[in-house]
Parts: sequence; structure tokens; C-alpha cells
Amino acid sequence: MDREQEKLQLKQHIIKYLNLLHVTPEEITDDMPMFREGLGLDSIDSIEMVVMMEREYGLKIENPKDGRKILHNINSMMEFIEQGRAKLNSQ
Amino acid sequence: MSRIAITGIGIITPLGDTLTLNRQALQEGRSGLSSLEIFPTKYASLLPFGEIKITDKELKTRLDVTEPGVTRTTLLALHAFKQAVENCGLSASEIQLSETAFINGTTVGGMCLSDALYQDANFRETGSEYLNSYDLSSVTLYIQQRYGITGICNTFNTACSSSANAIMYGARLIQNGFVKRAIVGGADSLAKFTINGFNSLGILSSAPCRPFDNARSGLNLGEGAAFLVLEKEDNVIDKPVYAYVSGWANSNDAFHPSSLSDDGEGPYLAMQQALQVARISPKEISFINTHGTATENNDEKESIAMQRVFGNVPAFASTKSNIGHTLGAAGAVEAVFCLLNLIHDEVYASLNFDTPIEATGLVPVTEYKHMRVEHVMSNSFGFGGNCSSLIFSKGQKAQ
Amino acid sequence: MFYIHQSSCISHQPTFTGVDLQNLQPSVNNQLPAIEPKYINIPLGQLRRMGRALRMGVGTGITLLEKHKADGILIATSNGGIEDSITFLNQIVDYNEGRLTPTHFVQSTFNAIAGLLGMITHNTGYNATHVHRGLAFENVALDVTMLLRENPGHIYLIGGVDEISVRNYRMEAMAGWYKKEPISNTELYASETEGALPGEGAAMFLVSNNAESATAKLADLKLLHTADENLVANQFAEFVRDREIDLLLSGESGDSRFKRYYTRCEQAVSENTAIARYKHFTGEFQTASALALWFSCWLLQNQTLPEHCIKRSGSKTAFNRIALYNNYQGVQHSFMLVESV
Repeated sequence: MDREQEKLQLKQHIIKYLNLLHVTPEEITDDMPMFREGLGLDSIDSIEMVVMMEREYGLKIENPKDGRKILHNINSMMEFIEQGRAKLNSQ
Repeated sequence: MSRIAITGIGIITPLGDTLTLNRQALQEGRSGLSSLEIFPTKYASLLPFGEIKITDKELKTRLDVTEPGVTRTTLLALHAFKQAVENCGLSASEIQLSETAFINGTTVGGMCLSDALYQDANFRETGSEYLNSYDLSSVTLYIQQRYGITGICNTFNTACSSSANAIMYGARLIQNGFVKRAIVGGADSLAKFTINGFNSLGILSSAPCRPFDNARSGLNLGEGAAFLVLEKEDNVIDKPVYAYVSGWANSNDAFHPSSLSDDGEGPYLAMQQALQVARISPKEISFINTHGTATENNDEKESIAMQRVFGNVPAFASTKSNIGHTLGAAGAVEAVFCLLNLIHDEVYASLNFDTPIEATGLVPVTEYKHMRVEHVMSNSFGFGGNCSSLIFSKGQKAQ
Repeated sequence: MFYIHQSSCISHQPTFTGVDLQNLQPSVNNQLPAIEPKYINIPLGQLRRMGRALRMGVGTGITLLEKHKADGILIATSNGGIEDSITFLNQIVDYNEGRLTPTHFVQSTFNAIAGLLGMITHNTGYNATHVHRGLAFENVALDVTMLLRENPGHIYLIGGVDEISVRNYRMEAMAGWYKKEPISNTELYASETEGALPGEGAAMFLVSNNAESATAKLADLKLLHTADENLVANQFAEFVRDREIDLLLSGESGDSRFKRYYTRCEQAVSENTAIARYKHFTGEFQTASALALWFSCWLLQNQTLPEHCIKRSGSKTAFNRIALYNNYQGVQHSFMLVESV
């Protein structure tokens, strides 16, 4: 899977976990903020996305304060996923 | 106008199954938080809980409950209800009069049986004995039927303010002349449903909770039940009045399903309106039994709201440091603790406090002390932005 | 008690927009599911998280709160978002109490409907949720009556809502509350077996103590906890005594066990009084009496009794005073008196 496909899949996971019935993957741009003015998500959504990272990617976000940074937008999440994979591979 | 007198008290918490045992533990600053010994969950030894160390079997024997389908929440409620009506000296026929109301608040109800419910809801071909017991009113209806209560019965669920609202409703039923007396309170028991629910929100502390401390890291769940007998003062002739319910209010924070707003608008409105109903000024409040769950969000916003209402915040504490958060029962259980403050002119230490919250700097009472207590405020806030404040005022001995 | 100004209803019949009570909608597999509208006035960010009960409750509630600001919100629901509760419960077991997603937990809080209505419309007033099974809505009516005495001039949103949840239906059916044999809602009252047809819906009202611009008045209310048929009959006779009742709206559910209560109450009204029923289009559920109140308001305004509701035509030429009797599971009873203004 190339990077674009990975991104699409991530967007699909977000839509599924948060039940964003009114949003298509195309509408979520890579640098759109997830919270407040961007996609308009809130603190409960951020917990949903932490669980999504764990169930779909096997990656844990232990400190909730890191969560907001990691979950800021698609780019930051992709970076977290790629770094997490690299770490898993090197172990 | 005739006041609303409190003439009966019943309670069961992790601190004990009588009013006396609860008072002793509070005086000694003893915590009722521990690992779980009875309730089975993955978190039994990982998190502290306020568990009542009496099994369902033992409770059933003590209370002579032989019918099928009776849940732990109902058993705890029945224990406290029975104690309250006995303490008040209410006869069976008085309880059965249409002028006696029974109002219960609970948020777990029969869902304490998460595993049985899971089986019944998904797999079983013929149901278990609990099919009609999983909802909230099953608790109320069992007691209603057992005592043959014919007056107004109701069950409230406004999450963690449920039984505070049950007390308020009972007081208003009397004030509006619908009934002469009301048995009011609530019950909740530990449940996988709530343990995992609060855990999924990341607000359960792995250490005993530290209300109003800057380093607080969440709440502990507990279980308990408490009921009060409320009577129109004019009808109370030959028994002591423990205290009066003098103020009450409910408002909505209208901000978020599970967190309080930055300026604590809902709590502010509830406290202020309760003072108006009681017709007293903020400085007449001697002591506040706060909601004080020890979550990051609650304690700071509640502090801000108290500062908005009082300026100089009176002495306050959170008894959730003693027994954890008993959810729907919390309002009633904490009302009983307020009555102890009033009856004995004493206040109890808030446990595990070290450093005040940076933004507000409020310091709770950290040692047991004697002081004149005239009016006590009790706060209970719940999910859905639900905010309730009650005010209890000093009672009088029998003439 | 109080005056009713506006109302909104979602049920098995078209009642939300373009009300049609004349043409009876058939039951579907022994159930009477509600016709859900497109919820154009619920913010999408909230709608995505809502189960049926929340959608129906918030959808009907917002419709009224958009028309008029209220001083508080009082909701009756016996089960709240029960489907969400069981979804969360299943997650607990399926993931062995591991890391779980909180949405279903937060949404399944029984007071989520009243809470969300407060949140979305920035309503910081009184906010209550009554959950006392078959008398939850009656307690809401009692509560708001007291509020209006305490705060004359205020306006409140009140209502009742419950959903048919797949898994809760399973349990209630096992407990014997629903018909086992296939049956159509057109034959409900001829049935001689135990059980009713499950229904769901929401009915909301804006109420005050001001008669001006009101469409109906709840004139009296009584709640009763008993299984004693004689006590119910006597109390109901007392309730309607010296009152000119044009219509008795009966909560008869087709459950053979409770028919005798309804029969006794029918005997308490004069032979001129018409008798009508509604559970064949609302179905049986704990807060169905909220829908019955909505139906009463509709009847007072429209003065036509849909053919399929009539049990006895009576001899009245107009409906100005309606008595309602409802019985939930044989132990919770309520009487309401609804009058034209």
C-alpha cells in the first residue's frame, strides 16, 4: 500500500470510528485540524481515535497530552503511524 | 410556610451499614477505599474502589429477601430504606398512606448485573430471573411493592445528581401539598458497566482519589445507598428533627455531555438559586460538601463556580475521598454526611490533599474539627450537564 | 395543572410532518417501529453519535425549542438509549474489559436526551429525567405542574420518549410482555392472548400556566401503584365523577391479562361517552402515555376520531373533555383529564 492509500484508509477509519456520516474521505484534507474549527471534533472523539490507533494500528498513545499533538491532523497521524511501524520493525 | 423537616435517616456505604459507623469513620478520617474482594472485574486489584464488604447473600439473609430477581442495587436501597423508616418510627400503615411518597434516584439500577444482562440480551433462549430487573425503576418498584406504598412513586436518573434531584422532588411534593411526607434518596452498586465506562473516558485514578489537589488524577468508584424521611414540619410533633431541607436548585451547564464549562456556569446557577430558595446569603453557609470527584475537570470548574458564588469560599471538603463516587447514590449519601455536620457541629477531613489547584488556590478542610454548623450546602453534578445544589439547615431536638 | 401550546410527535404513524392518522400503518413483524424523519435541525456533529431514542427525543424537542425558548426541560424515558447501553456492554465483554470507546457509554446515560437538548439550545434551566417505567411521563407532568406553581409565567419543554431496541426487545419478549403469535395491529383488540405489540416514539410539548394561545389543557392527573382492580375502578370512578366526559381514551394494549382493568374503567363513564384506543398505532411502551396526550390534543383540535380508533361512538357531537386511562404491566396506572381551551 502506498502512502496515499494509507492516508485514505486512515480517513476511512476515522469516518467509521466517529460515525462521520456527513463527511467523505476526500473532504478531510491532510492538514485540516481535527478539533474545533477544522472537523469540529471534541474530547470524546479524541479518546475514540486513541482506541482506533490501538485497534487498527497496534499503536498506543499512553499520555493523553501527547494525543492532541498526534491527532492534530492527517499528516501528524501518518507521521505517528510511520514512526510507530519503524520502531516495531527495529525491535 | 411550613418547613421540610428530616425525621429519618438510613445509610449504607463502604464506611459501614449504620449512621454511627459512618460517623466514626468520618471522624477518624478513615478511608473506605480498597481493592475489590466481592465484585469480580479485571480491575479488582488494579484500582481502588469503595466496596461494601457484605455479599448479596448476606444482605438477602439480613433483609429476608427470598424472591428471585433482586439485584444488589435493590438490596442496598432496601437496607437504607428500612433503616430510614425505622429510624423515623414510621408504621407500616403510615408508609402505605397515599400521602406518603417514595422517590428514588439511581443510575446503575439492575445493570449492576452486567454479565447476566449480556447473556440475556444476546444469547439466552429462556431468560434468567433478572429479565424485569435490569432497568432503574426495578429498584423503586421492589420496595414499593414490598412495603405496599400507594402514594406517588418516582425514579430519577440524572446521572451523578440523581438522588440529589430525588431529595429535591420529595421536598417540592411536600411544599406543593401533594403529599405530607416523602421517603427520598438513592442507591447504586458497583458495575462493570460504570467501571469500564469511566475507565474508557480515562478518568479513573489508580490511587486513592485526591479531591481539589493540584496532582489529582481522577475518581474512584464506590457503592452505597441512603434514604431520608422528609415531613412537613407542622405534622412533626413528637420526634426530633435532624435538620431541614431548606434550599434546592437544579440547572444545566449546557456545555458538554461529560465535562463542565470553563466558568462553571451550571454549578454557579445551581448554588446561587439554592441560596435564593433557602433565602439565605452566601456568607451564612457554614460548610460545603462539594461534588469534588477529583477529576481534572470537575474540581477546577467547581472551585471557580464556588469562588463566583461566595467570593470567600466557606469551609469545604469532598467525602468522595472517603468512599469514592457512588454515582446516583452520591447526592443522598452526601446529604446524610451533611446532616452529621449539622447534628454534631463538626466537619470531617477531606483526605489525600496536599497542594491546592494552581488556578484557584482553594484548600479544603484537612482535619476533623468542631465548629458551629448552621447551614450546609451539598453539590452534585452529573453527565448531561446536570447540576444540583441542596441546602440543609440546623434542626431541633424533640420538645 | 398546565396549558399545552405546541407539540411535536414521532410515532408509527406520520405525525412529525403531514399528520395522517386516518390511514392506519400496518405493523411490521409484530412491532410498531416509528417513522423517523430527516433530522434537519439536529447539528450533524451531534446526530452522528445518536441512537434512535436520542434522535427521536432531540428531533421532536428541538422542533419546539426553535419556536420558543423554554425555562427548563423535563424528559420521561424508561430506557433512554438502551441499544447504546447494550452495545457498550457487549464491548466490555468482547474486549475483556480492555481499552473501550466511550461514545456509547456517554450516549447511553439516561439523561442524555434532556442534556443534549439543553446543550444544543444553550438552555441552563431546570433539567430533569424521570425514568419510572410506565409512570415516567406522568411524573414529568407532576413535576412541571409544581414548577409552574413555583415560577408562574415560565414555559417548559416536557416530553416522553422510548425506543424499541433489538436486544432489549429480546429480553422483554422472553419476559412475556409481547405477543408470541404473528398478529396484525388491525386485529390487536380481538386478541385473547397475553402480550402487546411493542412500539416506540417521542412526544414533546411546550407548556405554561397561561391559557392564551394554548391548544389544550391538562386539567387533572392521578398516578396509582397497585394490582388491585377494584381500587383502580373506584379511583377512576372518583376521577370522572361530576365531570362531563366526551371521550374516554383507553390505553388497552391487547394483552388479555389487563383487559379487565380497562373494562372496569369503561363502566365508570356514561353510555354517551365515546371510547377510543391508540395502542394499535403507537404500540405498547413505558412512555406511550406521552403519545396519548399528543393524540388527545390532536383530537381536541381536529374533532375527528379516526375510524380505526373507535371502540364506541357514543352520542357526543363534540370533544371538549377527554379522560385517559393507561395501565402499564398491570401495576402502574394513570388517569389524565385533557380539556379544550
